[in-house]
Amino acid sequence: MAVHTRSLKRAKYLNMHRIFFAMFIFTVLSACSVSLPDDVAEAYQALPEDLDYNLHVKPVLSDKCFVCHGPDKAKQKAGLRLDIRDNAIGELDESPGKFAIDPGNTQGSELVHRILSDDPDYLMPSPESHLTLSAREKAILVKWIDQGAEYKPHWAFVKPTLPKVPKTQYESKVINEIDRFIFHRLETEGLTPSNEANRELLLRRVSLDLTGLPPTLEEIGNFLNDKSADAYEKQVDRLLNSEQFGEKMAVDWLDLARFADSHGYTVDRLRDMSPYRDWVIQAFNKNYPYNKFIQWQLAGDMMPNPTKEMKLATAFNRNHAQNMEGGIIDEEFQTEYVVDRTNTFGEAFMGLSVGCARCHDHKYDPISQKNYYELFSFFNNVPEAGQISWDDAMPGPTLLLPTERQEKIIAFLSKEVDEKESKLHESERQADAAFETWYQSNPLHRMSDGKLPNSGLVGYYTFDNGSLRNAMDTRQSGVVRLGSGPESPVFESRGNGKALHLNGDAWLDLSPVGLFRKGDAFSIGLFVYIPKELKEGVIFHKSTMERHFNYRGYDLYLKDNKLRLSMSHVAPANAIRKYTIENIPRDTWVHLMMTYDGSSRAMGLRLYQNGVEAPMETVADNLTKDILLYQGQPGLQIGAWDRGWGIKDARVDDITVYNREVTPLEVRIIAGKESWSETASKIMRNDSKLFEELKVYYRSAVNKEVAASLQELRAVRNARADSVESIKEVMIMEEMARPRKSHVLLRGNYDAFGEEVVGNTPASILPFPGDLPKNRLGLSEWLIRDDHPLTARVAVNRFWQNYFGAGIVKTMEDFGNQGELPSHAELLDWLAITFRDSGWDVKKLQKLIVMSATYRRDSRASQESRTKDPENRLLSHGPANRLSAEMMRDNALAACGLLKKEIGGKSVKPYQPEGLWEINNTRYVPDTGQALYRRSLYVIVKRTVPHPTMATFDAPSRSYCVVRRQKTNTPLQSLVTLNDPTFVEAARVLGEQMTTDSNAREGVVNAYRRLTGRTPDSKEVDLLLELQQVEYKKFRDHPEKAKGWLTTGQYSVDRKLDTSLVAANTVVASAIMNSDATLTKR
Amino acid sequence: MGHSHHDEEFRLNTPEASFLNRKLDRRNFLMKTSLGLGALATGSLLGMDALRASTSKSGPEDASSQEAILAAIPHIAPRAKRVVYLFMAGGPSQFETFDYKPALFNLAGQNLPESVRKGQRLTGMSASQAALPMVPSIYKFNQHGKNQTWVSELLPHTAKVVDDLCIVKSLYSEAINHDPAITFFQTGNQLAGRPSIGSWVSYGLGSDNLNLPSFIVLVSKNAPQDQPLYARLWGNGFLPTRHQGVQFRSGKDPVLFLNNPDGYDGSDRKEMLDYLGKLNRLQNEAFGDPEIDNRIAQYEMAFRMQTSVPGVIDLSNESEEVFDLYGPGSRDAGTYAANCILARKLLEKDVKFVQLYHQGWDQHGGLPKNIARQCKDTDQATAALVVDLKRRGLLEDTLVIWGGEFGRTVYSQGKLTATDYGRDHHPRCFTMWMAGAGVKAGISYGETDDFSYNITKDPVHVHDFQATLMHLLGIDHERLTYKFQGRRFRLTDVHGKVVNALLS
Repeated sequence: MAVHTRSLKRAKYLNMHRIFFAMFIFTVLSACSVSLPDDVAEAYQALPEDLDYNLHVKPVLSDKCFVCHGPDKAKQKAGLRLDIRDNAIGELDESPGKFAIDPGNTQGSELVHRILSDDPDYLMPSPESHLTLSAREKAILVKWIDQGAEYKPHWAFVKPTLPKVPKTQYESKVINEIDRFIFHRLETEGLTPSNEANRELLLRRVSLDLTGLPPTLEEIGNFLNDKSADAYEKQVDRLLNSEQFGEKMAVDWLDLARFADSHGYTVDRLRDMSPYRDWVIQAFNKNYPYNKFIQWQLAGDMMPNPTKEMKLATAFNRNHAQNMEGGIIDEEFQTEYVVDRTNTFGEAFMGLSVGCARCHDHKYDPISQKNYYELFSFFNNVPEAGQISWDDAMPGPTLLLPTERQEKIIAFLSKEVDEKESKLHESERQADAAFETWYQSNPLHRMSDGKLPNSGLVGYYTFDNGSLRNAMDTRQSGVVRLGSGPESPVFESRGNGKALHLNGDAWLDLSPVGLFRKGDAFSIGLFVYIPKELKEGVIFHKSTMERHFNYRGYDLYLKDNKLRLSMSHVAPANAIRKYTIENIPRDTWVHLMMTYDGSSRAMGLRLYQNGVEAPMETVADNLTKDILLYQGQPGLQIGAWDRGWGIKDARVDDITVYNREVTPLEVRIIAGKESWSETASKIMRNDSKLFEELKVYYRSAVNKEVAASLQELRAVRNARADSVESIKEVMIMEEMARPRKSHVLLRGNYDAFGEEVVGNTPASILPFPGDLPKNRLGLSEWLIRDDHPLTARVAVNRFWQNYFGAGIVKTMEDFGNQGELPSHAELLDWLAITFRDSGWDVKKLQKLIVMSATYRRDSRASQESRTKDPENRLLSHGPANRLSAEMMRDNALAACGLLKKEIGGKSVKPYQPEGLWEINNTRYVPDTGQALYRRSLYVIVKRTVPHPTMATFDAPSRSYCVVRRQKTNTPLQSLVTLNDPTFVEAARVLGEQMTTDSNAREGVVNAYRRLTGRTPDSKEVDLLLELQQVEYKKFRDHPEKAKGWLTTGQYSVDRKLDTSLVAANTVVASAIMNSDATLTKR
Repeated sequence: MGHSHHDEEFRLNTPEASFLNRKLDRRNFLMKTSLGLGALATGSLLGMDALRASTSKSGPEDASSQEAILAAIPHIAPRAKRVVYLFMAGGPSQFETFDYKPALFNLAGQNLPESVRKGQRLTGMSASQAALPMVPSIYKFNQHGKNQTWVSELLPHTAKVVDDLCIVKSLYSEAINHDPAITFFQTGNQLAGRPSIGSWVSYGLGSDNLNLPSFIVLVSKNAPQDQPLYARLWGNGFLPTRHQGVQFRSGKDPVLFLNNPDGYDGSDRKEMLDYLGKLNRLQNEAFGDPEIDNRIAQYEMAFRMQTSVPGVIDLSNESEEVFDLYGPGSRDAGTYAANCILARKLLEKDVKFVQLYHQGWDQHGGLPKNIARQCKDTDQATAALVVDLKRRGLLEDTLVIWGGEFGRTVYSQGKLTATDYGRDHHPRCFTMWMAGAGVKAGISYGETDDFSYNITKDPVHVHDFQATLMHLLGIDHERLTYKFQGRRFRLTDVHGKVVNALLS
């Protein structure tokens, strides 16, 4: 039955209305009222007097209405938007004269009729949406319209202002401002703050929270005995200044930064990015201001005169998963990497799910698809490959991190290279004198026309007798291949001889001819006939399966009438790449010759077309490592790669390979554009340019001293290359010289280009200031500007979560319209501004939080609090949370004393059940010795097969940014702490200690305190002693039952002890380890 | 005030935990009724209300909250109570198994016509081949069953049960490479991060067996490890961790850390756990936290797993006849054939979702030899599973699924010779089959062109397959949603429709 209703008045009568409403709620009828169903009417009455748009109304509108009537322009039904007031109260496009919302007039508001309707065709939200409004939600919308349908901007997009610190009746308990906000709120809710936690539990709490490790017995003793007023503060300072502080803080950051030791995706090979992890630890230990900390990670490489450290920090944006699977489409995954960076940027720093706007405008927040790709464009200028190299080379761009020793060696060899270069120049100068003598001997007349310059000619293939033999060494013969097997070559006549026809799939393999390093000078020439239809294909190369190995080697590639000449370690970042500017002629024979001087520089790599050097544009000039594959070294290959990309129906002829850089005069002769006799006669006719070229020819091809100097230079260049090869590399960010164009990608597809975009930020958050450069550096500045509404709030919220288990905004990852509202909005703003104004002082903020009385409360909840506030969001009592995965393992290792405290270095492989990595075609070989006992943040993260101990306790796979871990409670966790060798071994070490303690009781108490930080009461001790006796009897009668307890793991028990007793004590330690007192931080 | 599924909430259907659930429900109930009736009486609700609003979850509480979503299941009468999904990882060729293409015999070696390819993208492995020579199956096909269904000679055992199969020849996917394709099939999205099908099922339907996980994964040890597998294929994504697939492995530790330290047997463990329980209860006296009750329940469940799993995985009580039925290898724990027997045992124990993975179907080269071996390793046991389930009366309410992540190309990748060829990935059409609960037996659905390159009739998208699978379990795929990062996610994203023509 639909009952009466309420007065519905215009907003201007609101105050009067309220009084009226409160007094005569059931009796007033009005012309413009709407009748409400029972349940809605009832809910209406229960609503607070004043509805707040952000608190009450928008959560309903956003969750239930915005999907079809929100910011996503493409999905707006009936042209109606409910997220913008002007639109919501305007005349409806499809129903002239009607209004979705008529403020103050529910009868005239279509929305009200729709949400109250029983007619499925008329009802909103529509039945297909599977969204329904509860009676209370309907009542909220009705009452809000009643009250004038006032809108407010979304709280998180409005810059915070410093709120007034409230007063509280619990002033005597207050330690700092945090408490005033918290206690004031408790007062209003009628809750009482609990007492301070006892010292033992408090010390355990703060030790685990600040360092991830439990306090030692000595530390507990010191604190208990310290009667000074600042005893607690001394502990806090000690913990904040310990090196373990950085390790603890790093764990959360590494989740957010999706740091891992493997590439992810299907072929999940390992990669070592530990220098980044160690930088994060140090950044926390050195207390880098948060603004600098994030700015370096976003744009360290673009800072003025960037240091190695700044560049290393940018590894943040390269930590994402990378794909090695053969046959993937490069652009598809290159796009995914940029998407990952963009989404991580939104979630990590701004608490926004910007990723929702990849395929369409955001459904809930004012972030359009165009906004998304504007952000995307900031991260789209990295010279990276979508498919990373199969040979485990670090994907470019990278930073070389030489050790001190390596640095010295490289410096030495570089000096050598400089010296040998000077020596070469000197030899060349001296050669000019010898040239005269040589020239006088009439050398050109000794050269017969048609004869190739022969200095350094190591390969010459004419195909003329239908053979693939090398004329320079007839033991060598080329092979035509498709797959592994030899194919029959197809020849066709050309002039008097033959040329080789190519089908685009098979290639001519001339190995070992053409096998050169980056320190070698060499030249490769050939005649090629390229048919008009051919768009793309490789003319020659020394590599294998192109992108599969990121073009390691050298290659000459045709694409759309231009030629690309490359020499690569990992293209495009660690490579030389040049493009011709002019088109290549088609359907005619062309001579192409690449020459290279061994310098590893773009200017030393040239291409000649028909004897004339081709003008080229250099797009990459950064070849720092060698061009050889790690194994299976091919030589020169002509006409296709394994898997195609060949020059179908092209023909090649007269291939020449020199192990020196041939000179321009020689190239012309090889190309048939000049003959020796012509040269001689032109010089006779005073062609001075040609005379100079002859001089160059002499130096390079004839003079023995120059040749010897070149050999010396080559030797030191290659020695340097050998030394650089083993230097550790980490992935970093780098901007391409020519920025990549970015577009809106339709439906998020990498190959569906929409409108072109340039870097910009969503105006709804903070417009991009005109004074900043529109690049990553500018973006990082924008993020840390004082008027940015989100950065500081999101940061303090994340830190807060560390201590209380939940953020002030619980939805850490979503500060948008769908996110949860802050439990203490003013405190959040106060903390944000205080943090920012402190110079973003991270340690100071941590101290502020853990010093607060709020943090120090006893975690036991009163009955009242448990009923009113079961999640303890109001913090009437202290936090109680299960230990994190890392804490769980570190606590056991620390308690028994096995823990190896050592900061940083390569990740480690502790115990793990055999065979787990086999699904991913690899083997896990556990470490031995001290590495087994390193802290858990160093445990290797292989994304596709997580370490079971860590994963079972909710450590994320690190495949994508995570700012809030799950906190689950499962039987599989029990199996880990009961049976995982790490825990069994730690229990045994404790068991052994218990055995050597002066008496059983003391043994139990000590083990208990080491594991749980608290002194057990006598009932607990008695129970554990009883267990010890039961087990002892069992093991004495059946020693075989103790076997696993005594032998699991590498630690061996002192055999002089009563092993049955050690085993019994081990079981006791294990029981404590599996008890709530250990598992939960209270 | 409800409880968030994202966080500490867990809802075990164990006797130990059920009182907690009741408590939670009661709390909800009280809250709702007090809001309804108490308003006028007390006038004190303002405070309570503000508290409630400010501490609510990421969305308002209402009928579409997670609890209500789960409470509404089943949305339709379920046909299947459990699923066994035989995942043929790598992408089995439809040409050599089910999609008979006699027209290709006259076209062998000819280039794939552009009129067929229509500019569709190819993988980086063959996109740049100058020639795309078409190749018919080297293996013969014969007709079987009531409907004279064509089945390859490589699958003689499957051919015998063809009257039980619902063969779909018109599956298609959007992904062209293994990682995105298999992730798409298992999670509805090409990138890592979403829950797998089994996790959704576990989340939506819970467990019918208190002693075993509701989603169990078995990986063949006798398959070639060409394309790797990864744990996220059975991962829980953003769903609570307990819904992740638990891999049962052959060997001494079938579930990770299931075994007690050597020599310490079940009764020893029981005794120790009794003391642990007492210790935790003492802790509870001091702290009075329901989490402690819950922890106690987890330990009891862990113990029950310890006692029940070894019995389930032990095949020694199976009869000779059963081993003969499943064929060679079935006596060797961890092989595909042995896993099929184990799957049947798990289904008998009412495990909701059992997924077998058999790798090695990625035949870019040397296809004739390799696919024959793959079929030999799997055909008999696959058919035996159908037969065995049927004779035990389980096929009525068990859904059996067979298939990979995509199909293969009509053209040869690499060199084509008279006896050898390879096939590249082909997402545009491929074959899967289902059998048992709720699907039509003995039919073929969907058609492809003469080149098995394009679908000509009744296309079934991966999301459609997923929607149909959920439908058979009584779940409307559009209504089983989970709110994460402000958005409601579902297995089928925003797509998918139930293929009614497949339903019996």
